Amino acid sequence: MSVMTLKCENLVKQYKDKRALDNVSLTLEKGKIYGLIGRNGAGKTTLLSVLTAQNPATHGTVTLNGQPVWENEASLSHLCFSREINANMNAGGIGALKIKEYLKMAETYMPHWDKEMAEHLLDIFHLDRKKRISKLSKGMTSMITIIVALASKADFTLLDEPVAGLDVVAREQFYRILLEEYTETGRTFVISTHIIEEAADLFEEVIILHEGKMVLKENTQELLESCVHVSGREEDVDAATAGLTKYREETIGRSKSVTVKLEPGQRVEAADSVSVQPMNLQKIFVAMCGGEV
Amino acid sequence: MQELLSQEKSIYLQIKEMIENDIIRDILLEEERVPSTNELAKLYAINPATAAKGVNLLVDEGILYKKRGIGMFVASGAKQVIVRKRKERFFDDYIRSLLTEAASLGITKEELIDMIAAGKGEDAK
Repeated sequence: MSVMTLKCENLVKQYKDKRALDNVSLTLEKGKIYGLIGRNGAGKTTLLSVLTAQNPATHGTVTLNGQPVWENEASLSHLCFSREINANMNAGGIGALKIKEYLKMAETYMPHWDKEMAEHLLDIFHLDRKKRISKLSKGMTSMITIIVALASKADFTLLDEPVAGLDVVAREQFYRILLEEYTETGRTFVISTHIIEEAADLFEEVIILHEGKMVLKENTQELLESCVHVSGREEDVDAATAGLTKYREETIGRSKSVTVKLEPGQRVEAADSVSVQPMNLQKIFVAMCGGEV
Repeated sequence: MQELLSQEKSIYLQIKEMIENDIIRDILLEEERVPSTNELAKLYAINPATAAKGVNLLVDEGILYKKRGIGMFVASGAKQVIVRKRKERFFDDYIRSLLTEAASLGITKEELIDMIAAGKGEDAK
């Protein structure tokens, strides 16, 4: 049997005068952890909600194993989008629910719900089951997002900023819990985050969205190996990087720095006076999406 | 195996070197089982595919070997292989950068040799 895939083609999402998604095509495979990164307003949440049919696309298609996802119960049973609980939801009466009532409600939408796991995670995060959703701190609502995602047991589980507001210990706890679940089940996880550096090593592939467009989708380790920071005397840096793909050139006096993305087979032919340094994912992201210096 | 990961180098290379370090330091003995890629992934909070990439490099070099259904083991003679390999790389890994820095500071060959001798607690001349 071939690998299960969640695929979107030429997705466009147009809000009144804003194009939130601009012709996004991508294929997600079963059994991988994907990282979704982008600036505020880049379209991350919109993409995740359209992929899981919680939000209709203006144009384009989303399919699971070739079957449309929209209003297709069979496909939807394999998908979970655990979105942030926020102030808007309080209007719908959700804020008045106790945690256990909220999870009970989530259970009715999730055909593969693992109640035991939800209970176990409530204990790990020391959450009071009787506490009302409207009384939760930002970090606690993130914990609920995580619990719904993991206990859904969906083959494709999409998490929208699961670590926002969590303290560093809880974040590391989440990364370990996620890896444990992933290694045991081989589910697919898509995780959007602004805390790029500490999650970078979790991601087998990284997807970068910028202003509604997909800038890249690449194996994380290969991306890290292909990007270097080149700096030194301006002429030397220019000579060393001639003909290469460059981002974010910055000049101070005689000194210059630039980020280079190398294609297979390319390399920076640098004199001793030029520094060529490896970069982390956060720096690469800023170089590609940070705009003018 | 409990060293901290840095950002200077690819994670899978660091995983590989940490296992090598543990073999050199007799923390992992020959013919002993090493942690699985899933165990390594959880330990370092990294993707199992990345951990596997590091481990597979060691398999390719004959330092680890797979026993089907049981796991990954340290090959006999692995320690010697690692030491030999690191000796061969010693010039590129350490001496070359030392010479470059010495040249840019105008340190002479004699001064360098004196420093090395002093560092080893020997009289230079």
